[in-house]
Amino acid sequence: MLLRKSGTVESMLAIALIVAILASITSVVNSVNSQAETMGKLLNVGETFVILSNSSTSITDSKVDTELASLIKNVANPKYVLTQKVFTASLITDSDRSTVLVRGVDTEAFLEARNAQINGVSANDTQANVGEILARLVLINKGDMVTIAVENIMVTVEVAGIVQTFTQSDTELIVPMNVANLLTEDNGKVSIIEFALTDTETTEIDQLSRLLPTDVKIVKTQQTQAFIRDVNNQTLSFLSLWSIAVYATVTTASYVVATRLTLESGYELTMLKALGAKSTLPFKLILSFTVVITLLGSVLGLAIGLSGAQIISTAIRWAWINIQITPALEIQQAAQIILFTSASSIFGSVYPAFKVMRHTYAELPL
Amino acid sequence: MRLISFKYLQKQRLLILTVVLMLASVLFSLTAFGFLGFYRTFNAYLGESEDIIAIYNTGSTTPFTGFIPLQLTKRIENISGVLANSPEITVLTLIGGKSVFFRGVIPEEFYKLNPLSVVKGEALQLQDTQSTIVGRRLADTLSLAVGDKVLALGVLAERYLELEIKGIYESNSALDDEAIVPLYAGQWLRGTNYETVTLIRVKVDKTKLTSALLYAALTKEEEAPQPDGKTKPSPIEEIVPISDAAINPQNLGAQETKKLMKTYLERYGMTQETLLILSAAVFIFASATIFSASHTLIRQHEHETAVLRSLGASTRILKFDLTIKALPWSIVASLIGVFIAEVSLLAIESSGVQAFSHTVHFNLDPLLVALNVLLVSAIVVLAIVRSTKKLNLK
Repeated sequence: MLLRKSGTVESMLAIALIVAILASITSVVNSVNSQAETMGKLLNVGETFVILSNSSTSITDSKVDTELASLIKNVANPKYVLTQKVFTASLITDSDRSTVLVRGVDTEAFLEARNAQINGVSANDTQANVGEILARLVLINKGDMVTIAVENIMVTVEVAGIVQTFTQSDTELIVPMNVANLLTEDNGKVSIIEFALTDTETTEIDQLSRLLPTDVKIVKTQQTQAFIRDVNNQTLSFLSLWSIAVYATVTTASYVVATRLTLESGYELTMLKALGAKSTLPFKLILSFTVVITLLGSVLGLAIGLSGAQIISTAIRWAWINIQITPALEIQQAAQIILFTSASSIFGSVYPAFKVMRHTYAELPL
Repeated sequence: MRLISFKYLQKQRLLILTVVLMLASVLFSLTAFGFLGFYRTFNAYLGESEDIIAIYNTGSTTPFTGFIPLQLTKRIENISGVLANSPEITVLTLIGGKSVFFRGVIPEEFYKLNPLSVVKGEALQLQDTQSTIVGRRLADTLSLAVGDKVLALGVLAERYLELEIKGIYESNSALDDEAIVPLYAGQWLRGTNYETVTLIRVKVDKTKLTSALLYAALTKEEEAPQPDGKTKPSPIEEIVPISDAAINPQNLGAQETKKLMKTYLERYGMTQETLLILSAAVFIFASATIFSASHTLIRQHEHETAVLRSLGASTRILKFDLTIKALPWSIVASLIGVFIAEVSLLAIESSGVQAFSHTVHFNLDPLLVALNVLLVSAIVVLAIVRSTKKLNLK
């Protein structure tokens, strides 16, 4: 009866158009985000990981058991495993004393993994390699003798080669692990364990994660997907805040719809009361009417929004060849829009419905 | 018959229309200010000064991913009208699960274009091999303090880097959301060699040099014989080995920084005009509710208008009077809507909502406010005319 009123279509359209705004913009944002994710997947993401202690935010603070390297070799079939002890030390040369970062490693394996260009050779147990930038800064040449000091412990080594790796190691002193252990007086722990997998199987990493002690964590060194996810979430959080305004508009639209219904159905509602209907009946009727209108409007709005976005994106594709937008909504997003729209709508229509419930039939005009 | 002084519209009922108008206005303002905020923030990424020209790779799809030879700086500094030039590499990283932009720069050159005020710690030097300085907003977001160490993970390359915070700076620009490292550290994180950078920003004397002239001079330099090679090495060359890289002028572009960002946005169909049209479309979609509310308002006053009609008021007079009575409300509603939207956006801004890891600044635009008032008023007039016609005011 109530749905046959002249304003029903108009009311439904009012809700539908508001929902269409939300649906279209969400679908376009989804498309942009999914394109970013696809581009991220196309990147040749490496398979290098580092293990460092759970509580640390930096490499120098981290302490990891050296024995974990064997575990990685047994479980993950890695391309390489490099235990690294990273710490700051004083570098004393003939002319200068400066604070530098020292990396204790298996020098040959480390420089090979870094594809290093070496002017000289990789360091043996009594030698060190110096990163090219550090060498220029502190004026060190191949064959020089330098002293490395950590508090009161000093070790003098010969510079076996100047290395270029295009990594942080170009500003570091690279020493064999025995030298690093001597300087730090700690043989059982390293700062990190770096390893690279031969393929992209994530099962090996999952298996390794389960076997590792709880005080360490595995970190992938290239975080393309996580970066894209974070950037996408930034857009989505603005969209969520913006959608509050949309739902507020739905609430007032529903208030208007319910008010209009009470106006246009004054005769019917009064008759119902006059015939002895419970006072809650008009309340239920108006609320049900608004919910039905909102549900139909939401579905229509989703359709209008999605098809509108599709049409506009196709038109844009014709105008700018480079742009490929394929608007789409996920099922849970569509459900969420319908749910929130319905909730806003019920909220908006409660007061007009309640007002009608409070009226006696004598107050309602016939 | 004059009805102006006759107050037959109930204020409570008018208030509902006002709330509807206000919310439509909030929606329009949020969309328009929001979109334009994103647009302007992105445009201002490389600076808005008109005397700064960017040399970039025309083939790159984003302003963050192209490569050009660092050797160009040598040519640029010999061009008359160049005041300073800053080679920069933009690096995308992840620190503690948060996306962070790094700029690898030659600090001494960079400060000539962007004088930073260091609020804590010290300024960065090219020789600070393990250090970084971070923008104030980034420091707040990640709760970073001077002396802290961070582990930056690469995004476009398989790299990780430990850096100590040497200082926190303020620039009142997009840089406040970024971190600055020496150029070579940026090149490590980007996974490139020491010969390439993302772009070179050039500060010019506008009376002597334009972007077109700079580009022409760069191209001419390519054809001209090289200088005798006895020039003083640049600061970066003193500590980083840089070999000659091939320079292909066809891949190079020179544009004012603001125009450059605009060019990139336009490639994706994002212009100020399209964003405004989109915002207006949002308002028009929401205006169906305004029509419904106007219709309801007139239905609610059917008895009053019927009395007036019986007293001799013509439909035309009634339409005119209803419009005159509703217009001040609509203007007030749209202004309140703009105010609410602006307050909300400021709250959003201060809560740290970002786009592409940069804080978005939402500024009040008088033109948009005027457009808002105009749109709301136009819709109200249309809605009243349509509703009175529909009801025929009998």
